Amino acid sequence: MVTSIDVVLVITLLSVLLSLASSRMMALVKIMALQGAMVSVAPLLLDKHSSLSHEGIFFFQLMFLVKAVLIPVLLFTAVTRVAIKREVEPLVGYHASLVAGLGLILLSAYITRHLAIPSTGKATLLLVTAITTLGGGLFLMMSRTKAITQVIGYLMLENGIYLVGTALTSQSHSIYLVEFGVLLDLLVGVMIMGIILHNINRTFDDVDTAYLEELKD
Amino acid sequence: MLEAIFSLPLCTGLLTLFLPVRLGRAMLVAVALIHLLLTVFCWLLVPAPYLPHYFGNSPAGILVLLVTSFIFCWIAPYGIFYMREQEMHSEPIFLGCMQLFLGTMSMAALADHPVVLWIAIEATTLTSAPLIFINRSKKALEATWKYVLICSVGIALALLGFFFVTLSMDRPGIDVPLTFSALNDAAHQLDPLWLRTGFIFVLIGFGTKMGLAPMHTWLPDAHSEAPSPASALLSGALLNCAFLGIYKVHCLLVLAGLGDFSGNLLIGFGLLSIVVAGVFILNQPDYKRMLAYSSIENMGVIAVGIGVGGLGLYGAMLHLIHHSLLKSSLFLSAGNLVLGFGTKLAAQCGGMARLLPRTFIGFFAGFIGISGLPPFGIFVSELMILIGALQTGHPVAAGLFVAALLLVVAGFARIATAMAFGPVRNEVLVQEQPARTIPPLALLLASVLLCVWMPEPLYRTIVNTIAMIGGTVHG
Repeated sequence: MVTSIDVVLVITLLSVLLSLASSRMMALVKIMALQGAMVSVAPLLLDKHSSLSHEGIFFFQLMFLVKAVLIPVLLFTAVTRVAIKREVEPLVGYHASLVAGLGLILLSAYITRHLAIPSTGKATLLLVTAITTLGGGLFLMMSRTKAITQVIGYLMLENGIYLVGTALTSQSHSIYLVEFGVLLDLLVGVMIMGIILHNINRTFDDVDTAYLEELKD
Repeated sequence: MLEAIFSLPLCTGLLTLFLPVRLGRAMLVAVALIHLLLTVFCWLLVPAPYLPHYFGNSPAGILVLLVTSFIFCWIAPYGIFYMREQEMHSEPIFLGCMQLFLGTMSMAALADHPVVLWIAIEATTLTSAPLIFINRSKKALEATWKYVLICSVGIALALLGFFFVTLSMDRPGIDVPLTFSALNDAAHQLDPLWLRTGFIFVLIGFGTKMGLAPMHTWLPDAHSEAPSPASALLSGALLNCAFLGIYKVHCLLVLAGLGDFSGNLLIGFGLLSIVVAGVFILNQPDYKRMLAYSSIENMGVIAVGIGVGGLGLYGAMLHLIHHSLLKSSLFLSAGNLVLGFGTKLAAQCGGMARLLPRTFIGFFAGFIGISGLPPFGIFVSELMILIGALQTGHPVAAGLFVAALLLVVAGFARIATAMAFGPVRNEVLVQEQPARTIPPLALLLASVLLCVWMPEPLYRTIVNTIAMIGGTVHG
């Protein structure tokens, strides 16, 4: 039976694969907006969150605002400012990345089968999606050289960790304060990365991290 | 009341970003003093936290907080006089971020909830990034980018680790709030598999931030490119906060009866860090990078001490205190050298003993201390860790420990003597100034003093810190 949570999770999975295969920066930003939206609604669709308090509703709106609107807008301005259209020479090619992404899904399914976690409940796809998103983010960071793609990889990693948290912790989201702190860190982190990105672009006329290899022993 | 310790610098830090420079400088020094007073007050009187689910004053946290507050109190005035000599683009950002950095580190020291601890440590990365970045040179840019990215990813893994720790509570019959103190009480009921998995992720995550090899790659870059007052804080205070994260989870594992597992991991990473640092120090041309590698080495020593347990635990806590004092003093002296000679290359700093005599005293005494020679405290702490390792049955680790330490001292000694007594290469650009030579000497003096006279409350705090996981003072 297909439920709404499954739809959301499948879209998230597809967004990971899409991001691994796309070379255009604008497309990547849009994919991240979609993924952020899906990740922030996923906990709402799980059964255990059926009854929401007022602060819960407020928190999820905030979450959606940050993950699906604010961060993509920040990324959008960064991309237009540094005026780069695409990743020219990724360390791992797009087709190879896509295959790696598919392999990642298989690996996550394998891990999930062997973990035997009681609290996942109905959404068996949740942990698979979470681990794939996490791994996809790490892969994106390692296989691309543009600084901005690395930031996007980091965001994907964070999305994955958020999903793992939703999948694993059986306690309902009673501690919004804590989640809010995590969100705030994420937002400020992206802002600071954006500032450094802007300065890298101004200093080197490019945002390629291949220029950043002066410091070594 | 407890929360004031971190909320005060956070508020004033934000405010300072918008204040004129002169007022900001006064604010920085004032906040440093008030913070030290508040810390001592909270340490001796133990007030109750306003939000007991999130914060608490564990002895380990108070110890880290005390060290942080004490060295900040000396670094703050030094920083002002250091920044005066430099072309500053944006001093309000420096002044504000120093306070924000202090606030986030204090928050990490006082956090009792795992995720709050995580938030605070991630926030330390974000507030210290502008400090490294302040010179806006190409190298500073590179160092900051690596720092922010590597540490953020590392710390993200630590969050995953905390989720696993949370999952270990998912057993029937456990109904405790998610705080370290509550988890410690219920430790033996927790699921050992998830605790182990959680510890591995936390060790890798916070180990990145603490500078344990092989996740240390950001550390030499960030510490050498940051202005010296910031390097002193990064090395003397920030690394301790990351260590605290690992230590708290290690305590949990020891109480759950998994101490051997986490202890051996800590010993392994610790020894690897000492060896890696020793290898890179040997032919290091840049003295600030040399100090950074020495920090990696000392964090390794602390990890080994915690890992072996017993007397090693007391040694590790002593080492934490003395390393912070000595290393921040060394970085401050290094700042005087950077100003005096205008270079970070050790080969260009010949004749320091004649040209900058007071800096020389500070630097060379610091070198003697950090190498583990008496009369400084690191001699005592390393000896205790060694005895602890032998007593608890880790002879191989003890042997490797000594060999690796010798490697570090050899590398360090070559560079330090060449700098102090080598031929004169350069003119002195900026002369010494008491405001910049007293703080490093004061920090050194504190280390010597603590060796001969340990105040009773401090001694009790250390003993309370380690008593929980079976640490002893009497071998």
